Amino acid sequence: MSNTPHSQSKGIALHRFLNHILEPFLVTAISVLVLVVLWQVFSRYVLQSPSTATDEVARFLLMWLTLLGAAWVVGQRGHLAIDLLSDKLSQGKALWLERVLICLMALFTFAVLIVGGINLVHVTLRLAQSSTVLQVPMGYVYLALPVSGLFMLGFCLCAFIESKDKHHVSAQES
Amino acid sequence: MDLIEVLVLVVSFIILLGIGLPIAFSIAIAATLTLLISVPAMATLTTVAQRMATGLDSFTLLAIPFFILAGQLMNSGGIARRLIDFARALVGALPGGLAFVNIVANMLFGAISGSAVASASAIGGAMGPRMEKEGYDKAYSAAVNISSATTGLIIPPSNTLIVFSLASGGVSIAALFMAGYLPGLLIGALLMLTAGIIAKKRNYPRGEKASFAETARTLVAALPSLLMLVVVIGGIVNGLFTATEASAIAVLYSACLAAAYREVSLKHIKPLLLDTIKTTSIVLFLVATSIALSWVMAYENIPQSITNVLLTISDNPIIILLIINVILLGVGIFMDMTPAVLIFTPIFLPVVVATGMDPVHFGIMMILNLCIGLCTPPVGSVLFVGCSVAKIKIQSVIKPLLPLFITMLVGLMLVTFIPEISLVLPRALGLID
Repeated sequence: MSNTPHSQSKGIALHRFLNHILEPFLVTAISVLVLVVLWQVFSRYVLQSPSTATDEVARFLLMWLTLLGAAWVVGQRGHLAIDLLSDKLSQGKALWLERVLICLMALFTFAVLIVGGINLVHVTLRLAQSSTVLQVPMGYVYLALPVSGLFMLGFCLCAFIESKDKHHVSAQES
Repeated sequence: MDLIEVLVLVVSFIILLGIGLPIAFSIAIAATLTLLISVPAMATLTTVAQRMATGLDSFTLLAIPFFILAGQLMNSGGIARRLIDFARALVGALPGGLAFVNIVANMLFGAISGSAVASASAIGGAMGPRMEKEGYDKAYSAAVNISSATTGLIIPPSNTLIVFSLASGGVSIAALFMAGYLPGLLIGALLMLTAGIIAKKRNYPRGEKASFAETARTLVAALPSLLMLVVVIGGIVNGLFTATEASAIAVLYSACLAAAYREVSLKHIKPLLLDTIKTTSIVLFLVATSIALSWVMAYENIPQSITNVLLTISDNPIIILLIINVILLGVGIFMDMTPAVLIFTPIFLPVVVATGMDPVHFGIMMILNLCIGLCTPPVGSVLFVGCSVAKIKIQSVIKPLLPLFITMLVGLMLVTFIPEISLVLPRALGLID
C-alpha cells in the first residue's frame, strides 16, 4: 500500500468530504419530515385548522432526501446487486469488472441525472410551472436530480480510485 | 409495440443484472435504452429524469421511510425479547415448542417492524442459540426462522402493500391492510404445522406449560409493543388518519417506547437515522427507477400486448392465475420485492381484473408469491440474513427449507383460489364491496 499513498488519500479525502456535506443534510431532512407530518396531524385534530403546506413540503423534501440518499448509498456500496459473477472471477478480473460497473453507473448518472435533469430544470423554469400551494417554481424542486447526479459522480470517482489502488496492491503481491 | 423494444428491454436488463450492476441502475439503464429506440436522445434523457422525480413526488411514499424508522427504533433487543417471552407462554408447550415460538415471534415482530430482514435477524438471533441448546438442528432452526420471517410482510402494517397500492393506481391501503391478516395468519399456521410434524419426527422437546399468571405477565410486558399495531391499523381503518400520518405516529410511539425502555440513547440517534436513510434510499431509488421503467413500458404499449397474449392463451381464470403465479415466482427469485411489485402490477392487474378478480385479492396474492423469492438464492435477502445470524452456510439450509417452501406454495395456492381468505375482513368492515 505504501506505493500509492497519494492517490489513495485523495480518494478517501474526497469520500470524507462528500459524506461530510451529505450526512448532516440527510439526518436533518428525515427529522424535519417526521415533524412536518406529525404537525399535519396535530394541526388537523388539535388546532382544528388543517395545514395546507405540510403535504407539499413533505413531498419535495422526500424527493431530495431519496435522490441525495441514493448518491450517498453509492458511496456506501449499499445498492442491491447480484454479485455472483464477480465471486466466480479471479481477483484481477473482478477488479476490472468492478471498474466497468462503476463506469456504467457514472455514465447513467451523467446522461440521465445531470444532462436530463438540467434540461428538465431548464424546461420547467421556462414554462414557469409552480407548485399549487407554496408557489415554488418546480424547476428548483427538480434541481435535486442534477445535484444528486454530481454527488453520485463524485462517489463513483472515489470508488474508481479505490479500485485502482486495490489493483496496484494485488499486482505487487503477485 | 414492436418486438425490438421488448427485446432491448429484456436483454439489456438481464445482461446488466447478470454482470452485477445494482438492480436500480439496471432498471434505469434498460428503461433509457428502450425509450431511445423511438424517442430522440435529449427527450429520452429528460423524460426518464422527469419520471424518476415525479415518481418520488408522493405523500403516500412517505410512509415507507417512517415505517422503516419505527422498525429501527423497535429493533432493539428488548422488544424482540418481550415478544419471544409472550410467544413462549402461548405455544412453547407444543412438541417442538421452540420452533412454534420462533414462528409466532416472527409474525408479531414482523408485523410491528414491517421488515422481514429485521425480523429474521432479531428473532433468529435470539432464538438460534436457545434452540441449539435444547438440541434442535441448526439448519432446521434457521429454515424455520427464514420462512416465517416473511409473514410480517403480509401482516399489516406493510410497506410492500403500500407500494402495491401506489403501483395499482390507488387501491385502498386500509382494505389491503385488513386483507393481509388472514393470509398472514394462514401461512404462519401452515408453517407451524409443517415445523411441528418435523419436530415430532425428530423428537424435539416440548417446553414447560406456562401458568395463567405467567401468560398474563408476558402479555402485559409485550402489550406496549403490540398496542402500536392497534393505534396504527385502527387509525387507518377508521379513517382517522392516512397511512403516512399513521406511520409518523408509529415513529413517535416507538421513540417514546424506546426512551421508556432506555434502550436507545441520544448517541444512538444519528447512526439509527443514517441506517434508516440507507434502507429508505435503496428502496425509494428502486421505486423511482421502477416507475420510470413502468412508464416507458406503458408508452410502448407493452402491458396491453402482454394482456392480449395471456388472454389468447386462455380465458380460464384458473389457468391465467397459475401462469401469473409461475411467472412471479421466477421474477421473485431474481428481483427484489419493491421493483417486482412496481413493474409487474401494471402488467398483470388489467389481466386479472378482466377475469373478475378483486385488485385487493391480487395484491395479497402477489406479495405472498414474492415472499417466497425472499428465501431463495441468488437475491434472497431474508435467506442471507437468516443464515448469517445462524452462522451457517446457505447450502446447508436449502434442504430443511424445502418442506417449508412447499408449505408456502400450498398457502399461496389456497390464497390464490379462495378469494374469501383475503376479502372477508375488508368486506366485513365495508372497505370494499
